[in-house]
Amino acid sequence: MRPLLIFPFLILSACERHEAVVATQPPTEPAPAATAPTPDPGATLASVIRISTTQQAWNEGQPWEKQPPGKRRSLGAIVAPGQVLTTAEMAANATYIELESPDGKQFAPAKVIAVDFEANLALLGLESESDAKFFEGTKPLEMAAPPKLGDTLDIVQVEENGTPLVTPGSLLSVDVVSNFLPGQFFLTYEVKASMQSAANSFSLPVLHEGKLAGLLTSYDAKDQISDVTATDLVARFIKEASDGEYAGFPSLGISITRTDDSNFRAWLKLSEDDGGLYVSSVKAGGAAEKAGLKKGDVILAIDGQQIDRLGYFEDAHYGRLYWSHLVRGAKSAGDTVKLDLLREGQPTTIEAVLDRRDEQDQLVPAYTFGKAPSYLVKGGLIFQELTRPLLEAFGDEWSSRAPLNLLDVYENPQKYESRGRRIVFLAGVIATPATVGYEPLRNLIVTKVNGQDVKDMKSLIDAFAQPGVDGMDQIEFDEEKFSVHLDEAASDAVDAQLKQRGLSRLSRAEN
Amino acid sequence: MLARSFLTLALLTAGPSLAQTAAPAIPGSAAAAVSDIYRSVVRIEAAVQIPDYSTPWNSGRFTGGIGTGFLIGKNQFLTNAHVVSNASRLLITVHGSPRKHPARVKFIAHDCDLALLEVDDFSDFESFPVFTFGDVPQLESQVRVIGYPIGGERLSVTRGVVSRIDFSAYSHSRIDSHLIIQIDAAINPGNSGGPVIQDGKVVGVAFQGLRQADNTGYIIPTPVVRRFLKDIDDGQYDHYVDLGVSTFPLFNPAMRRALKLPDDGVGVLVTNVTPTGASDDILKPGDVLMSIDGHAIDSAGQILLDGEKVDLNEVVERKFAGDTVALRWLSAGTWNDRDVALKTLPPSRMYAIQYEKKPRYTVFAGLVFQPLDTNLFATIKLDDVNVRRLYSDFVPKGIFTEREDIVLLTRVESDPVNSQLAGFTGLAVDKINGTLVKSLKHAHELLNPATPPDFFVIELFGAARPVIIAGNAVAAANERVSKTYDIQKLSNLEE
Repeated sequence: MRPLLIFPFLILSACERHEAVVATQPPTEPAPAATAPTPDPGATLASVIRISTTQQAWNEGQPWEKQPPGKRRSLGAIVAPGQVLTTAEMAANATYIELESPDGKQFAPAKVIAVDFEANLALLGLESESDAKFFEGTKPLEMAAPPKLGDTLDIVQVEENGTPLVTPGSLLSVDVVSNFLPGQFFLTYEVKASMQSAANSFSLPVLHEGKLAGLLTSYDAKDQISDVTATDLVARFIKEASDGEYAGFPSLGISITRTDDSNFRAWLKLSEDDGGLYVSSVKAGGAAEKAGLKKGDVILAIDGQQIDRLGYFEDAHYGRLYWSHLVRGAKSAGDTVKLDLLREGQPTTIEAVLDRRDEQDQLVPAYTFGKAPSYLVKGGLIFQELTRPLLEAFGDEWSSRAPLNLLDVYENPQKYESRGRRIVFLAGVIATPATVGYEPLRNLIVTKVNGQDVKDMKSLIDAFAQPGVDGMDQIEFDEEKFSVHLDEAASDAVDAQLKQRGLSRLSRAEN
Repeated sequence: MLARSFLTLALLTAGPSLAQTAAPAIPGSAAAAVSDIYRSVVRIEAAVQIPDYSTPWNSGRFTGGIGTGFLIGKNQFLTNAHVVSNASRLLITVHGSPRKHPARVKFIAHDCDLALLEVDDFSDFESFPVFTFGDVPQLESQVRVIGYPIGGERLSVTRGVVSRIDFSAYSHSRIDSHLIIQIDAAINPGNSGGPVIQDGKVVGVAFQGLRQADNTGYIIPTPVVRRFLKDIDDGQYDHYVDLGVSTFPLFNPAMRRALKLPDDGVGVLVTNVTPTGASDDILKPGDVLMSIDGHAIDSAGQILLDGEKVDLNEVVERKFAGDTVALRWLSAGTWNDRDVALKTLPPSRMYAIQYEKKPRYTVFAGLVFQPLDTNLFATIKLDDVNVRRLYSDFVPKGIFTEREDIVLLTRVESDPVNSQLAGFTGLAVDKINGTLVKSLKHAHELLNPATPPDFFVIELFGAARPVIIAGNAVAAANERVSKTYDIQKLSNLEE
């Protein structure tokens, strides 16, 4: 398992979510570049745009309402006429995105052209054609060639008063890490530069010799290290996003473990010269499964690149990189990868056609940005679809605090996948006349309502629409051998009261 | 859950060098001023050895504590189980005497926190009065608590009133609930095991307090004490019996209509029947329990017993293994009557803290395997979802019928053969060389066959890969680990 570098991000996001305060700092002279020539700070102003976004997430505990909104700012890079690149964090749960010229004279509402929450990239454009003059006089940035270790990158900031601030930094290392969502690993530069906070944002364009080399996604002030999304990813994202039909970065659909344990290697019959990745599990319906990859296979090489026993390969440009970049980063959906395997001691080769794993197709989606939670309030019983954000609502210690049966679904989805598209559970009970005696019921996975299988929220709502001939609904739960009953007439009366009490709506079933 | 604290005063005894401070004898007049029966309230000094579940081959921690006991018959001193649990030496002293009488545990019941002690030589106590037992005291009536709590060496007496009579948790085992009486007398560490007196008779045994509330002491009432004394009549303690059913209240009108029950507040829904339990194959989920031994069960699962509303399990509480209860229930509209023979449910001790047990373990090439139980859960951090599920499902889902123990890989003592395996600790063992692991003993046998295989393949629940140990490397590794980590015995399979 690779260490997740999410700690620096957490610190930063905590700062960034606060409303920008009015800047009182005096303008600071840009730090002189040590080695490489710094681009003319004034010229960069024509290629960057301030972005401010209002974000509002849904309240996972009371899914009929939203949480209080927050604001966040970033500096975007103009990458094509009318197109601005920024981080996906800016587009997450955004209710209003506004572009602002660096001099503070012009404003225009923006829309999201494409967003990739996993790679943490978003492409914005103008909401309305009538604002086209907003981009007059701007100069889109060209994409830089991928930099090499030791190169100087320039981090662009704009102070509150409109003064550009360019901080040169050295490209220290290149690694495949996750910088926004856990478990989403992408090629990332680590840049050493001493920065100051300007306009309360660390979502910034990074240039190399005046061209766009990446986006800074987080800055660790203690170590003075920034995470910068790599040029390769940004270029691929912009290329695929600019036509409006963004497919996203593909995946194989496997989990792996390394083969550095000599006993394990001997048992797998791996030779001393081989590296190897042990396939721990293969996701049902994923590219790897379709290609015939099996649990227990050992991947020796991907597209001819030998993978060592820790999972690294030798990249011609960057040096040692983690294997996942060969799939997520270097390839597009629809591309083919060749896998050299050792299967039960015998070498073999398979080819897998990569596809995009849409998070909405997962049994338990890991993120739900912009998607309103699906739920049903029926006579005071609250039903919800299981998602990771919902589990996270159990607090910082959610992975030990959340109910065991729900965590089991999250950790072992393969056990539950045959049941349907989503796991629907009775999240809790609002005390109403219809739910007398039901107060202790919570966090129970619903299997059937009125005899019909519950496959997602829509099927639950449909099943409730067909009560028994006696006007009663019957609800059955996973692992519980008794059913709970609801009187349709009583539940309708309660529902009417709940609406009067301010529940804006009693159900939502999103796909 | 309210955190109840034990009242035993844990005094670190610095070994035998601790001076036996001779308390001056109470002048006769003073002793006479208090009741003569106070002579029969004794101070119990326990030296205990607490087993170490994290390094099970070690001796554990030596410590000690003070509690109270009282004479209830010839050479019979009643006290709390938690006063004398894991005791390696017990000494009894009486009010105003410097003599320490060596004592030992005759019977101990951890599920109701009671123990009966005897001294080696009873002759000094022959003339002592003996306590007799009364009934459950009335609410608001006054009681006296006698004992040796902290704050002094001599006997202490406090007074209080009966605040509540309830069916509640006994914290000593963490899992058992019985009848309990709450009083507002100051009960302090050291009071544990002392008599609570009303009208010259014992109406309870002081045993636990509530940390976050003042003036709340809890006492074990006489029905529980009498049951314990009756249970040990045959020379051994057999534990409480269990009906083995879970219930859900039937208040809800829709629920009652669906089950075709009249709206009369009678009947509770059976939601789970413990496999192999007393009601297995008799009751099934969905049945509605209507009465127990002739007492109508209300929709909250309570019955009226001696004028008090109590949990239906109170009837079962007062019975013994082999006794029967008369159950009446509705199953799919049909009335059923049956006498159900009660029995104990040993696997449910999975959820109880255990005492007087030597931790079981086996060490294999530096990998330490231990059976999952509440003692282990209380000692090491176990947060793997699969382990927690195996624990919580062990009895309700009948996992114990397939696996007598859930075997965990708890530690990896570093050695060249296992240096890459530290990440696997805290996971449960599913199979060893393809065979499902049924118990620690079974795991030990599978790991120590007559001829070692080329590889030992240990499959763990939730692990990314199997754990592999080369068969020919085990003997040398065992020897190294035993020496390096000073593990004299590489396994202990008996408690």
